[in-house]
Formats: sequence, C-alpha cells, structure tokens
Amino acid sequence: MSSLISPASGRSEPAFSRRELIAAGTAGLALATLPGGLRAATPTPLSELIARVTEGATPARGGIEFDIPQLVENGNSVDVAIRVESPMTAGDHVRWIHVIAEKNPFPDVARFHLWPRNGRAEVAATLRFATSQKVAVVAALSRGGYAMSDADIVVTLSACIDGG
Amino acid sequence: MATFNARITMPAEAKAGEIVEVRVLARHPMDRGGQVDAEGRIVPRKILNRLTVTYAGEPVFRYDMHTGVAANPFVSFTTRAVETGDLVFEWREDGGATFTRTARLVVT
Amino acid sequence: MRLSGLSIFALLLVAAPAALAQVKSGSDFLSPEMHRQQDDEARNPGFLWTLQGEELFSRRSGDAPACLSCHAEPKQSLRGAATHYPMVDAASGKLLNLEGRIEQCRSERQKQPAFGYESPELLGLTAYVASLSRGLRLAVATEGAAKPYLEAGKAFYERRQGQLNLSCAQCHDDLVGARLRGDTISHGVGTGYPAYRLEWNGVGSLHRRLRACSLGVRATQFDYGAPEYLALELYLAARAKGLAIEAPGLRR
Repeated sequence: MSSLISPASGRSEPAFSRRELIAAGTAGLALATLPGGLRAATPTPLSELIARVTEGATPARGGIEFDIPQLVENGNSVDVAIRVESPMTAGDHVRWIHVIAEKNPFPDVARFHLWPRNGRAEVAATLRFATSQKVAVVAALSRGGYAMSDADIVVTLSACIDGG
Repeated sequence: MATFNARITMPAEAKAGEIVEVRVLARHPMDRGGQVDAEGRIVPRKILNRLTVTYAGEPVFRYDMHTGVAANPFVSFTTRAVETGDLVFEWREDGGATFTRTARLVVT
Repeated sequence: MRLSGLSIFALLLVAAPAALAQVKSGSDFLSPEMHRQQDDEARNPGFLWTLQGEELFSRRSGDAPACLSCHAEPKQSLRGAATHYPMVDAASGKLLNLEGRIEQCRSERQKQPAFGYESPELLGLTAYVASLSRGLRLAVATEGAAKPYLEAGKAFYERRQGQLNLSCAQCHDDLVGARLRGDTISHGVGTGYPAYRLEWNGVGSLHRRLRACSLGVRATQFDYGAPEYLALELYLAARAKGLAIEAPGLRR
C-alpha cells in the first residue's frame, strides 16, 4: 500500500515511518502538527514525487487525456478532467489516478480509486494550486505498470496566500 | 454549526449496460490550515478527506482528498448501469465525522 | 457659438464613450468556462447555499411560524419578489434590501433573533429567495419615497473616496473592460449577489463585496447594512434596470 500523503520535503527519508504516516493520514490528523523542519527548504523534485507513488517504477507516457487550464483564473478553484484509455474490465482496468502538484505545500493533491464497474476511467474535479507549476497525473494499471501525463499551469492569483 | 449538504446529479434511470455520469458537489470549507479568519485567529485544518461510493452494495468510486482539493469540492465519475439499486455516498471528515447521501439508479 | 458648443459636445461624446455604453451584468465578464459553471446547477457551489436556504425556509424555530407558513408555494408566490429590492418599507419608511426584509420578518413576525449578515443562515435564505427570481429583470422603484435614497446612492457612486481617491464611476463606467490584477473590470452591477466568490471560497452578500471595494480604494469600510451601502445598492439596482437577477452568481 503506497503512502497517501508525502510531506513536501527535500529529505529522501521521511522523519516518521511510513506506517506512522499512513496511520496519521487515516486518522485524519493534520500534517500541520508536524515539526516545521519537515516542510521543504528545497521542494522535492517531481520525478521523486512520482517515484513515491509508483514505488520506483517508471510510468509510461501516453494513453491519458489531461485537461487543465494553462492560465488559471484563481488558484482556489481549478477544474481538471482526466481520462485514461482503458477497457475497464476485471482483467484490465485502471486501479487509481493520482494527482501531484510539485509546488503545492502538500504535493499529493488527490487520488481517485476506480473499479471495472466505472465503465470508463474518466474523472473530473476541482482542485487548488498555490502557484505556477507542473501538475502530473499518474495512473496505476491492474495489469501492472503505470501511465502518466503532465501539464504546466500559470497561476496568477494564488490559493495559498491570505488576503483579498 | 457547520452545515453539510451535497448535490448529486445523475440520471434517475438508465438502460442496462449504459455508462452514466455521476456529478457530486459537496458543501465544505476544506480549511487547509494556516489561514486567518475575520477575528485574526488561525483556522486549523479540517477537510473532507475521503468520499466512498457504493452502487448496489459494491464499491464503485473512492476519492482520497488532501488540502489541495478546492473548497466546496466538485467531483465526477462514471458508472455502468448494472442493476437497479442505490448509490450510497459517504464523506469522511478529519476527526472522523461522516456524512451520507443516497441516490437511486433504476436500470431498465 | 452654437457651432463651438456642438463641437465641444461632440468631443465629450468621443472622449467618454464608456459612460454612454450599455451596462452589462458581471456574467459578461466571466470566462466561458466560469459562465457555463454559473449556469449549471450541478456545478455552481452557490446552489449549496440555496439548498440550505430552502431547508431553513420550511423549518420552524420553536413556536415561531416557518417562512413557509406565510409564504406557501414560494416558487410561485415569491417568484419576482427579489426584483423589487431594495425598496422602501411602507411601515417604517426605511430602505430595505432583501437581507433587511428577511431579518425584519424574522424579528417582527417570527419573533426570533436576527441572523446577522454573512451568517450561513441569512446567506442561505437570501440566496434562496433571490434564486426564485433568477432570470427575471430587476425592477426597483426609483420615484416617491425611494427618490432621496436613489440620489444619495448616486452621489456615493460618483464621489471620489479613500486614499486612492477613486470614485466607483471612474472604474465601473470609465474603465470597464480594462484589466485589474487577474480580473477584468465590470460595470459593478451586483445582479449576481449573493454570489459564490472563488476569492472567498464561499457565498457572500453584496455588502461584503462593497466592503472589499471600499478596502480596495483604501476608503472607510462601512458596516454591513449601513445606510451608505443600502443607498448605493438601490442606485446599482436602478442602474441595472432591465438586467436579470443571477443569484446565486459565480464570481472570481
């Protein structure tokens, strides 16, 4: 089971064990209670954030339609749509789709878990982005392996700065 | 006390095998933590962290949400119209509170 | 003499075309995506507030009658009601906006404490009642008892204010369509309020938006429900005559 929450950290090893992080995540504890030192002085590179969700495997590019506006009107509310090509059968379907925002305070934004019953691996959601950055989507396939796509977005009014 | 409500938009009826879109809008401030309220107090993190949907008792969708999900979050997914049954939506909030809504899909 | 008068007039016409331009709703300044989202009840988060308002409308508080007791079948009986606000209350002579009318009913007829501006309850009820007139054209009274309020509102609109020394008219008449930070300056009409603003991550009243405008020019922020904002609200509604109510609107 891969960790659902990866702290934005320049360190390669999290200070808490994965088990503790997962327990904290499932108990709904705020990561804001973690010591300030865990917050990034240098943000984790996107490649590493991706490797965390694929457990080291290299995802293949292609087979994913990723719709996100290039120029975001307001970082508070950004519509994304993701479609992964898949027959969505018991033997061949998308298990989950994970969204990573490399420069958000918490880069792991969301994960959509799917089942063959969905019929299509197609989701849409409204997300928040702190600043202009690259956003990546990674899909886990039931037959093994991963697919990915990414896009650069420009955010002119940040969601994560107070005021206004 | 904060109000929870939600709007679920999906067809009431579908033909067997048809794929229908389920659109979900939930009311929640999704406080990411660290923001300051009108009185100058820091608002702690409190978000909906998970939405699970079952259809006729079987899991059909799960949305794991973190602080990067927008306030009053919208999400949509699809499902095959397999059999007449209820889609049960359950949101879980930081701290463990849950909210449930149900929508019926009649399959002809 | 007459010729030079005419040419001066012609020059003024050319110099200030925006002032004579048709006043448009805030929706016209939204991106196509946001406009679509505003019109989609499944997507516009403002409808989560109207949903709450609808529930409150039929709820009793102790012995007090519910709104529904006097306003049965609100979809028909209150359809069009919001188009006449702000209006002068016949009994008190005071100018009431929709929030004011709801609070008046609550305290005088339901004998319950007022909710207060920006409370989820008042926002929900105001958004709900306004939404019953969604798509209907504003038609506020501007003569008779309303006239002094209208004139006060117009004076406020045209007066330079704040450290930035700007009047509403300078942006919302003269600079319509120009960019301000990530936004495009609109006519400042207000027909979408109470609106869901992305900036607020929630629904807020017109007065909340006006307070933000006052802050923007570093002017005094009046209280919610202040006579200054009420008079301005009447002027804005008169200026928007013929435009449709869009509450709950979606704004940046």
